[in-house]
Amino acid sequence: MEERQYDLIFILRPDTPEPEIDKVIATIEHAAVEKGGKIEKTEKWGRKRMAYRVKRLHEGFYVYMVIRSSHGEVVKELERRLKVADPVIKYLTVRLDEELKRQEKLKRRRERRAARRPRKPATAAPTPGGEQSAAAV
Amino acid sequence: MPDEPVSHPPATPAAPQSHSGAPAHSGPSGHPGGPGHSAGPGGPRPQGRPGGPAKRGKRSFVRKKKVCRFCVDKSDFIDYKRAEILAPFVQERGKILPRRMTGTCARHQRWLTVAIKRAQNIALLPFAAEL
Repeated sequence: MEERQYDLIFILRPDTPEPEIDKVIATIEHAAVEKGGKIEKTEKWGRKRMAYRVKRLHEGFYVYMVIRSSHGEVVKELERRLKVADPVIKYLTVRLDEELKRQEKLKRRRERRAARRPRKPATAAPTPGGEQSAAAV
Repeated sequence: MPDEPVSHPPATPAAPQSHSGAPAHSGPSGHPGGPGHSAGPGGPRPQGRPGGPAKRGKRSFVRKKKVCRFCVDKSDFIDYKRAEILAPFVQERGKILPRRMTGTCARHQRWLTVAIKRAQNIALLPFAAEL
């Protein structure tokens, strides 16, 4: 099976001390690697205001990760761990590889089209006329 | 009774101006969606349109053509993580704005709703206004 890409975002309590945050990130990374996943990226977005209250909190410490894996076991394990981790108040995993693939495809198609025909002069000519008359109105 | 004399005088100047108004009308109809739109309320429009530009009074309102923001940017992917680009498409109460309000094309609206819903789930955007 081909490799899948996941976005993992989790929110920690805003009062979590820095070492604790690093510890949570380390355990998550460790668990992902253990299950055969690869960590592409880990970002600490820092304290952000949440759009609504979660567990009576208005703010949260956001952590963002990109994980690659060829099977979904990794996600299952990570979500289980996030659920039991005390400082974690919310998490979200999104599978993104199909959308990224689609994005690539559309990009390639656009580039190919741009290369094939530079600009259509026939459509460009009447348009200014139409705009002029519209402006006169 | 006073309505009749009032409505007739504008009708007479409207007749010659309808010729000058015709090319102006054909201009916008050249755009996609133009002919289909004018065909619907065809009855009252032909009178209102030529009279409008000449008089600059009532009914001269020309709707600005809305374009899809994402098509302009040529975006192939709408990132749910960037709440600031999604925010203009959400009402203050948290509702997703319809296509007819924002002018987003069908394909991008489809992607946009998914992105907004994801952002809602991770508290980047509200589901509904609080209290």
